[in-house]
Amino acid sequence: MNTLSLQHDPFNLIITGVGGQGNVLGSRLVGNMLSRKGFSITIGETFGASQRGGAVMSHMRISTHGNFSPQIPKGRAHMIVALEPVEAIRVLVDYGNPGVRAIVNTRPLHPAGVIAGNVSYPSIDELQKWTCELSAHAWFMDATFEAMKLGNPIFANIIMAGALAGTGTLPLQRKDFQTIINEQFSSEKADVNLKAFDIGYKRVEQEMG
Amino acid sequence: MKTSSPGSLKTDIQDRDLCINCGACTELCPYFKSYKGKIAMIFNCTLGQGKCFAHCPKAEVDLDELSLFFHQKPYDGHPLGHFKSIHVSRAGETMARVLFQNGGTVSSLISCALNNGVIDHAILTDKNGILPEPRLVNTTEDTLHCATSKYLAAPTLGELNKAMQNKLSNIGLVGTPCQMIAAALTRMNPMNQDGFKDPVSLSIGLFCTWALDTRKFMTFISSKMEIRDIKRMDIPPPPAGIAVIEKDREIINIPLEDIRPLILEGCSVCPDMTAEFSDISVGTFEDNPEWNTLIIRTEKGEQLVEDACKKGYLTLSDLPEKSLDHLLSGAGMKKKKAILKAGTEGLMNTLDNSKPAVLRMPESLIKTITK
Amino acid sequence: MSDIKNDAPPIRHLMMGNEAIARGALEAGLRVAAGYPGTPSSEIIETLAKQASKHNLYVEWSVNEKVAMEVAASASFANIRSMCVLKQPGLNVAADFLLHLSGSGTRGGMVIVSADDPGALSSINEGETRPYAKLMEVPLLEPGDFQEAKDMTKWAFELSEKIKNVVILRTVTRLSHASGDIVMGEIPEFTGKVEFRHEGFIIDPMEGAVMSAPVEYKHTLQQQKLAQTVDIFESSPFNIYNGPDKPELLIITSSICSLYCREAVSLLNLEKRVGILKMGTTFPLPPQFMKRHLSLTDRIIFIEEVLPFLEDEVKILCAEMVKDIGIKTFYGKRDKTIPMVGEMNADITLKALADLMGMTYQGAPEDYKKKAQELSFMKTPGREPTFCPGCPHRASFFSIHEALKLDNRHGFVCGDIGCYSMAVLPCGFQSIKTLHAMGSGTGIASGFGQLKRFGMDQPVLSVCGDSTFFHAAMPALANAVHHQSNIVMVILDNSGTAMTGFQPHPGLKTSAEGSDAIGIDIPSVCRAMGAHVTICDPFDLESTKETLLNMMDENKGVNVLVLKQACALSPEKKQKQKYDMTIDESLCQGESCGCGRICTRIFCCPGLIWDKDAGKSKINPVTCAGCGVCASVCPKGAILKKEV
Repeated sequence: MNTLSLQHDPFNLIITGVGGQGNVLGSRLVGNMLSRKGFSITIGETFGASQRGGAVMSHMRISTHGNFSPQIPKGRAHMIVALEPVEAIRVLVDYGNPGVRAIVNTRPLHPAGVIAGNVSYPSIDELQKWTCELSAHAWFMDATFEAMKLGNPIFANIIMAGALAGTGTLPLQRKDFQTIINEQFSSEKADVNLKAFDIGYKRVEQEMG
Repeated sequence: MKTSSPGSLKTDIQDRDLCINCGACTELCPYFKSYKGKIAMIFNCTLGQGKCFAHCPKAEVDLDELSLFFHQKPYDGHPLGHFKSIHVSRAGETMARVLFQNGGTVSSLISCALNNGVIDHAILTDKNGILPEPRLVNTTEDTLHCATSKYLAAPTLGELNKAMQNKLSNIGLVGTPCQMIAAALTRMNPMNQDGFKDPVSLSIGLFCTWALDTRKFMTFISSKMEIRDIKRMDIPPPPAGIAVIEKDREIINIPLEDIRPLILEGCSVCPDMTAEFSDISVGTFEDNPEWNTLIIRTEKGEQLVEDACKKGYLTLSDLPEKSLDHLLSGAGMKKKKAILKAGTEGLMNTLDNSKPAVLRMPESLIKTITK
Repeated sequence: MSDIKNDAPPIRHLMMGNEAIARGALEAGLRVAAGYPGTPSSEIIETLAKQASKHNLYVEWSVNEKVAMEVAASASFANIRSMCVLKQPGLNVAADFLLHLSGSGTRGGMVIVSADDPGALSSINEGETRPYAKLMEVPLLEPGDFQEAKDMTKWAFELSEKIKNVVILRTVTRLSHASGDIVMGEIPEFTGKVEFRHEGFIIDPMEGAVMSAPVEYKHTLQQQKLAQTVDIFESSPFNIYNGPDKPELLIITSSICSLYCREAVSLLNLEKRVGILKMGTTFPLPPQFMKRHLSLTDRIIFIEEVLPFLEDEVKILCAEMVKDIGIKTFYGKRDKTIPMVGEMNADITLKALADLMGMTYQGAPEDYKKKAQELSFMKTPGREPTFCPGCPHRASFFSIHEALKLDNRHGFVCGDIGCYSMAVLPCGFQSIKTLHAMGSGTGIASGFGQLKRFGMDQPVLSVCGDSTFFHAAMPALANAVHHQSNIVMVILDNSGTAMTGFQPHPGLKTSAEGSDAIGIDIPSVCRAMGAHVTICDPFDLESTKETLLNMMDENKGVNVLVLKQACALSPEKKQKQKYDMTIDESLCQGESCGCGRICTRIFCCPGLIWDKDAGKSKINPVTCAGCGVCASVCPKGAILKKEV
């Protein structure tokens, strides 16, 4: 096994979104990819009642040495993957810092208060601006749109996982993804998942030049 | 007319027990609905102004403005309102002899109007058990089915709102004085809707001194008999002082004193006994229950009565002087009492930033009426 | 997902705390597991159910926690290992039996896993398991990380068998629902034949009758077992001290809080000044072990959730030992250093430690925090939980609300526990006005229904789910019928224990293990009890409303309305739209008088979007579940449904 190394130890990753977006699945997937490489992984998840349309967060602690607490201390996230743009802001506010980076799915999912018209939902431009103000670097993509092209909006989480891999911030490789996805799914389903992963990966890779 | 919000209609009219279940705020939207004689606001509505409020005969009714719209004359506080002539009437030979409450005048006029194309539809009040129920009819047969007084408040104006949504026009409307006021308000297009067309071609108002709170009445009567056994109810003109309830093989008299507590609160501030904002008003003729009192108020009304007499739907006769005096004093008394009550309860001519007024009229008129 | 691997040791796996507990039980040779679903405990039984046939287990979702504990106890009485799994409120349900069980003692190792939810992340209370151990006089274990969750569960069975009494293992949401690294052990094979032995001398613990009488004898025996436990705990490897020989401050902690403490000490670079005593065996505390560590310093802080349980137990010990260990200064919940309510985290720990050690700590720089705060409250809309798109509860409560308003007598709904509890929120039109334990809605309604004699003339409704019906509402219904209480009970039958992930219940034809089961028909049960029963489809708003109005009109007896429609997330419905929904924008009236956009403003299904700029409602193709109900809500017929 190669010597393990990380930009930060523990590396604090938050995957956030709205109940039903496949947040938990996405964090498990990334966690397993890294765990198999030999990293110690701790994932703290908030689900249950909050799964019903509420905000969902997975806190992932990636380390070369042992488990950390399942809740990242405030202001200590290194990377935020947001399946929903307002959730990105919410998490940045609590866990962000000048060095944090963010990958954001720009497709809004309106909270009940917005559907009801009691509160308004910021424009995507505003959300992008704020995300940039609160991070060292941010990537944006309409992963839901891309996922719907693949036949189901649920693939947005895999696209975002691919994007995370594409940033090169963590030692996540396509072949690791492939191995795990082949174990869990039929070849047909694995194929479309791999396609989703590649879409995210390439989007970020291109931008990185 | 001042218009306010659906929320104000709920808190300032319904919650203050002024609502008389006329139905004018129902069938407009998903929020106001009538059930068993009571209007309920199902969900809150956040609009600043609503047709529900604008149509309400207990919310911001400026009698001067209403009179100018309907009679092209200012409100003058006359006990019977503006009118052209007064008669007594009864159904003519053309009408099948069926059991009418009194002279069958309303059914005759509606039948005549339907058959002559004056109107295409009529909105009347039918019964379901003892519960009054609005009904849209197109034939004489259905019209006759709706004959007889109900004494319980019916949401008849909801049927008008429904008809308007279904783009019906040329409608004949029969209702109580408050319902005639609500209909007139509706016909003023108070919310300035584009492409609004007055759907009512004929309005026939019914004399009314009060109506009963449906639920209170049902509770009251169900302690005395099975509600489903009741066939008919009548309140003969004074001085009888009783309500007559007909069951299959039995007639029960209930003293009016027992019934009075069941009268709708909102009726106590109603200044209109004879349905002043209608083309024709019809009521009992106290001297002879076979006949009705008939007030013709508009040219349209005049035309119809003339036609109905000519074609045998209606027979007219003169109203005796003594009866007219009696009618004037009865209607005048109701008006006076209502305006005094509205005044003391703070429901008249309220200030701009206080709760809505039930009635508005020139202060000078108030003095004249309540003298 | 929650399929725990059966790889031979020492392969390391990323595992959820609940899976680790399940794995530990398997490695202990568990034979029978029973529980009732409840977040955050449900995955334990689910994980075991999947392994049932492979490892020769019997796993069931019981009708309620008390029965679950009884089922598990029977296996112990037959001298095989068993486990009862519940969330803390379920421990309250089972407490009656538990008091008898702890008195009678057990034979085969029996462990009760009780999951607490500090901060009530998925609950409507933050009840504590730990005081029960003291109340019931049984040992309590608290795993502090994922590996311990597995190892301690396994060991708990050995302890139980050694002392012949039940052992409580307490987990919390942040452990149960978090994942970490686990090194696996072997799973033993089962051989032999099971028998319940009862023909020996009446008080023989292994051959006689199993009961808590004679009380004085059994109670003494129970306390001897506890004394034996203390001896065992004195050398337990689950109690660990980490820190300097003479710390300036000693942290005493347990459970997942130990990870927060570790992180806080490390972030503040206090490793050489502060010691952490992580207790795994928290009742009864081992006095000699405690004495050694309490002697290290005079300043002690307790980091635990939720009640000051360790704090109080340690303070008792300190009082007893004051001559030997001297006077201490305590920090914790009692002196408000740590909040008395809510869950713990690293930040609360960091702040407390920094204050006590005269340091400052900040997560992000001040200017960053300031900028972030400006953007937060004002500009980012909150996200309150709501019923899912296509949820039958939204439709049910829409009709319930409308019927109550039309009826106009200030009627109300008594609720209880399930997704439908959310009907206290705007998503359920704030219909529920009392909200307590499982089945309590109907029990409370049964009482309200008797208050007519004191002049109360409001209609009384209760709601309960299909699983809750069997769990605790049946006795309440029997009570209401028997006493002729005038109520309407609405059973929201969505064909599963939906909130916790579709666990089966006695109304369904499958068991936890996926095998055939006898489904009990809810309407038949209610009819047999003497209630008038009507069944409606809640998606038919009109008939549901009419039925409710008629039921409320009937001024006597119990009416039951079963609203039957499967949960939108149920396996048979998920991803399968019944209708393709569209909006005819030319008909949509938006905000204007006549509609006031009831679909989005009031019905507020997340499958809809309010397009403020266009002034029209729209279907969100990403979220719409295609149930078609909003078409009935629209007063203008602008929402169209086409069968898929």
